[in-house]
Amino acid sequence: MSLFKARDWWATVLGEGEEFDQGCLCVGDVDNSGTGFDKVVVGSYMGMLRIFSPHLSKPGEPSEADAQLLEVHLRDPIIQVELGKFVSCSELLHLAVLHPRKVSVYAVSGMAGNVEHGDQYQLRLVYEHNLQRTACNMTYGSFGGVTGHHFICIQSMDGMLMFFEQETYAFGRFLPGFLLPGPLCYCAHTDTFLTVSSARQVESYRYETLAVATDADTRHEGEQQSKSSGKRLQADWTLILGEGALDIYILSFSSSSHSIFVLGERSLYCLKDSGQIRFMKKLEYNPSCFFPYAAVGEGTSNVLMANHNNMLLVYEDITLKWAAQLACVPVAVRVANFQELKGLVVTLSSEGHLQCSYMGTDPSFFTAPKVEAREVNYEEVDAEMRSLQKIIRETTRTQDILPRADIEDDLIITASVSTDLDAVSQALLPEINGTAVPSVTVQIKVKSRNAVQSPKITVCVQPPLAVSQDQFVLDSLGAGAQTVVTLSAFLDGLYPPADLTGDVAAYYSSPTELNPAGVPRVTQCKFSLPLRLLCSPTAPLKSAKYKITVDTNKPPVNLNQVFPEFAVKSDDKEGGALAFRFITGSSVSVLASKSSQRYRIQSENFEDMWLIAKELVQRFDGHFAKQGVNDFRNSFAGPIPLAEYFEIVDHHFELRVNAEKYQDLLSERAVQFRAIQRRLLTRFKDKTPAPLQNLDTLMEGTYRQVIALADRGRRTLQPAPGCCLSVQPPTWSSCW
Amino acid sequence: MSQSVLKLSQNDLSRERKESDSALPISEAAWSLKTRALTEMVYIDEVDVDHEGIAEMMLDESSIAQVARPGTSLRLPGTSQGGGPSPAVRPMTQSGRPITGFVRPSTQSGRPGTMEQAIKTPRTAHTARPVTSSSGRFVRLGTASMLTNLDGPFINLSRLNLTKYAQKPNMSKTLFEYIFHHENDVKNALDFAALATEHAQFKDWWWKVQLGKCYYRLGLHREAEKQFRSALNHQEMVDTYLYLAKVYQRLDQPITALNLFKQGLDHFPGEATLLTGIARIHEEMNNITSATEYYKDVLKQDNTHVEAIACIGSNHFYTDQSEIALRFYRRLLQMGVYNCQLYNNLGLCCFYAQQYDMTLSSFERALALVSSDEEQADVWYNLGHVAVGIGDLTLAYQCFKLALAFNNDHAEAYNNLAVLELRKGRIEQSKAFLQTAASLAPHIYEPHYNLATLAEKIGDLQSSYAAAQKAEDAFPEHVDTQQILKSLRQHFAEL
Repeated sequence: MSLFKARDWWATVLGEGEEFDQGCLCVGDVDNSGTGFDKVVVGSYMGMLRIFSPHLSKPGEPSEADAQLLEVHLRDPIIQVELGKFVSCSELLHLAVLHPRKVSVYAVSGMAGNVEHGDQYQLRLVYEHNLQRTACNMTYGSFGGVTGHHFICIQSMDGMLMFFEQETYAFGRFLPGFLLPGPLCYCAHTDTFLTVSSARQVESYRYETLAVATDADTRHEGEQQSKSSGKRLQADWTLILGEGALDIYILSFSSSSHSIFVLGERSLYCLKDSGQIRFMKKLEYNPSCFFPYAAVGEGTSNVLMANHNNMLLVYEDITLKWAAQLACVPVAVRVANFQELKGLVVTLSSEGHLQCSYMGTDPSFFTAPKVEAREVNYEEVDAEMRSLQKIIRETTRTQDILPRADIEDDLIITASVSTDLDAVSQALLPEINGTAVPSVTVQIKVKSRNAVQSPKITVCVQPPLAVSQDQFVLDSLGAGAQTVVTLSAFLDGLYPPADLTGDVAAYYSSPTELNPAGVPRVTQCKFSLPLRLLCSPTAPLKSAKYKITVDTNKPPVNLNQVFPEFAVKSDDKEGGALAFRFITGSSVSVLASKSSQRYRIQSENFEDMWLIAKELVQRFDGHFAKQGVNDFRNSFAGPIPLAEYFEIVDHHFELRVNAEKYQDLLSERAVQFRAIQRRLLTRFKDKTPAPLQNLDTLMEGTYRQVIALADRGRRTLQPAPGCCLSVQPPTWSSCW
Repeated sequence: MSQSVLKLSQNDLSRERKESDSALPISEAAWSLKTRALTEMVYIDEVDVDHEGIAEMMLDESSIAQVARPGTSLRLPGTSQGGGPSPAVRPMTQSGRPITGFVRPSTQSGRPGTMEQAIKTPRTAHTARPVTSSSGRFVRLGTASMLTNLDGPFINLSRLNLTKYAQKPNMSKTLFEYIFHHENDVKNALDFAALATEHAQFKDWWWKVQLGKCYYRLGLHREAEKQFRSALNHQEMVDTYLYLAKVYQRLDQPITALNLFKQGLDHFPGEATLLTGIARIHEEMNNITSATEYYKDVLKQDNTHVEAIACIGSNHFYTDQSEIALRFYRRLLQMGVYNCQLYNNLGLCCFYAQQYDMTLSSFERALALVSSDEEQADVWYNLGHVAVGIGDLTLAYQCFKLALAFNNDHAEAYNNLAVLELRKGRIEQSKAFLQTAASLAPHIYEPHYNLATLAEKIGDLQSSYAAAQKAEDAFPEHVDTQQILKSLRQHFAEL
């Protein structure tokens, strides 16, 4: 993520299918030309050694071939190239090339050509060492404080440091606790070697300590001796990083102060000599390589960092100063001075992209791709828009988020209630107050007009009425198919229901062309249960607490005709009186006046009268309709019994308030219960068991409280629906 | 080729044959290398992992005060302190925080106050949270071991001699990371770390941090805190500060976390991750002004910090400075952030900054870049807003419909659609939409308020009152709601 990209000054691609890594890049005045300008030395795992002297190509000149000074195939893979004073009796820079089993030191020399092709460069082998162990990386420096010479230290894959004092092999030492090789670096100021071991710590070894430690070649025998002689190799200091490291650099500000830079896999560390952290920065990306260099400012250091998101970042200490986009992920980065330009960033990617670039304000590579632009023909667009609008308008009419009522349902359900009560009652409660509870069969016919998918039927009746099965899942029906389900309805509570009607709802999905899974639809129908389900005939009462008088405009009818199933075989042939005894206990009497056109409903229980009154009015309507009388009216003349009504409302309200109170109390106790549980949990989790301090008793007590409250709440709720029902009927009757 | 070599080394190790020559160290090295590689494949920085399940949230024994003082808890984001924006200006998340400019794991988690609330919170496909964090995502991450190797896991943990490996400092750290990150076997990791720290004589800060990480995963926050503290005593590290602050945030002690971050900044001045941590806490505490200050500090350290730019940008947007917000978003675009959300934000900023020519093309690009239905729904929703703004109600209607077609749980779209339906005079439809919106997102006040107004108009005072009360719960300072409530109360009193 950056605003700018690094500006290419010079770039080339090396070889084809060659592989490069961290150590393969090195810059310096390799041919000792004395100009102070750098050349770029690149070695590859395929064994190619190349030297470049990049310069800005002038128009019309062959660029690449001109910049390349040398290309040699060395047969063995090149792991690392370094420039240093590796040859005794010479102050000149020589090139050390590390192969897996060999380290070679070459002299590079240039001769001025006497033809127009330019200078000629040569590679001359000065000396080489064959290695006993496979090499991993190397470092060089004036070990032990020698002046004017550089020695080489090679780390092998199995953890041996091999020291070469120029043409001679000095000694080898095994690093203690070694598993996998880490980056290696020599610090001249303290004469120490720094590495990051597999234990994920920076380890610093003094050259002296290494030199006097037991010889690696005699290690096996030496192990026994080491305890007594005290020559066992020990790190000068260690610092635990907790992560693997990619690279280490030493950066000197002046002759006295210097810093150790360690690039971890996830952080950048800057350490002091003694191994304390000077500063660190947590990186929010995966770094690939870095290169610290001294900043212009006093006491600050700059770090060039490259990451796997193709970014080149410049930090001053930990503050990001510049971020530039690169074309590829570099594995090595250096700063070099060339003839035309100083301070160029040289980067090498693993595929061999060698770039010399500088920071510039070229915008980054990223440009948003163009949205497919098409020629706008306004007439066509208008026409398309119109046709689309038309389609939208039409579809909005037919289908919407909220479904519209269909004129015809795909599924037709009809419910029929059998006229007789079941011979064997299906009721769950066998008897209430000593009376057997009857049940009645309801038959639901399902007929499909079109194919419907997975219809489900739900039956719902007013509590405390119940049905033997309230949900049916049917198989998908084809067009014109028909199925029948049956169920039984019965009373399942100690109080009468407010209403005898029931609802049947069928839920199904009808597939359409666009939506093969089906559009969900619902259809429903009603049925009404017989009064016989609730009451049986009994002897009428002459007087009762509550009375309602219904006036009609027609002469009185024989109640036995209106309620044939309740006709009591008694001497009252005129049907002037009829009584209903509810299974739940109470009874209601209906008295027909012989002279006037009035009927009286009376009962000990105000709310029970509703069902009978409603049934009576319904049956009268039916009766007179059958006789062809159209102008039948009935009315209620007396004052509305509001006092009784309000009493019931009050009672209902009280119950509701109680229920709410219990609910609150219950949630309060539940919170308390959880709090105790939590405390107990902490106690049990403690390693040192603390006394429970009666928490268990408290928990037990709260548990009992919760249970008791739940019980009480349930008991309050139980009458509540009954009471709710008892509010409902008077409310309706007062409206009517 | 390499596969067979590694396989061999594994067998060597499991059989624990002691061979006298150097074959064993080499096989150990290869084994260690493969372990590292496998870990790196699934490595996620533990600082960023945050997954709080309902059980962890409700049964944490560490919460001290249920009703914390304002400004000391993350659970009750104070609405007024520090001049936090009101929900009328900046939309709120379910937990009552203003929505942030950058999606982080913790911004998606609402913290319901009680168990009841947690259970009652409506669950759409996006807000569903796992019941505990030990199931769900971590387990899914843990199955990586099954996928990589057809012959079963690379290391059979149950057969591993933990004590033996804990005594090898050059292998133990790699092995631990493998157990923790790749196998996700926190209990074994904990045992291993305990053995290793013992072997290191309790002097290695790294092992203490790992112990802390294990304890944190197991929900033992106090123990985790102890380990992290002890690790800090040995060695100051940025990561340790971040972990410890994360523990304090989970313990709902944002002030302590803030102090800790500041302490960390004393040691590592200008560390961007610490500054970001402070900014995030301020943002979660609804103290947007301070959060913005800290985000600016982050940008001083690292001016390519996407989170900081996005958060400052969104803050400018919601404080009616869409031109400035536009500059921030444009910067993100120039930096190479190229996604649907950015173009969506650019489109909105352009619209409110009255650069109408750019608005639609930004949204066009946003639509071209969508990666999921939810994003598409959001873009269409915003387009609907623009359409309302330019007065094209038909287009707005269609946009909101499209938003719903892509995300059926888009409560805001339901709400706006309801308003449009009401303008058309379709009261029943409007009511249905408002009710849907209110049930999908009880935390936004608009549907409640609209429902209250609608119900009042059609004379359903009871539902109007109920809805107005819900609106008041969601946004207590909303003046219009107050007025409705006042007039309704007056009306009821007169009856």
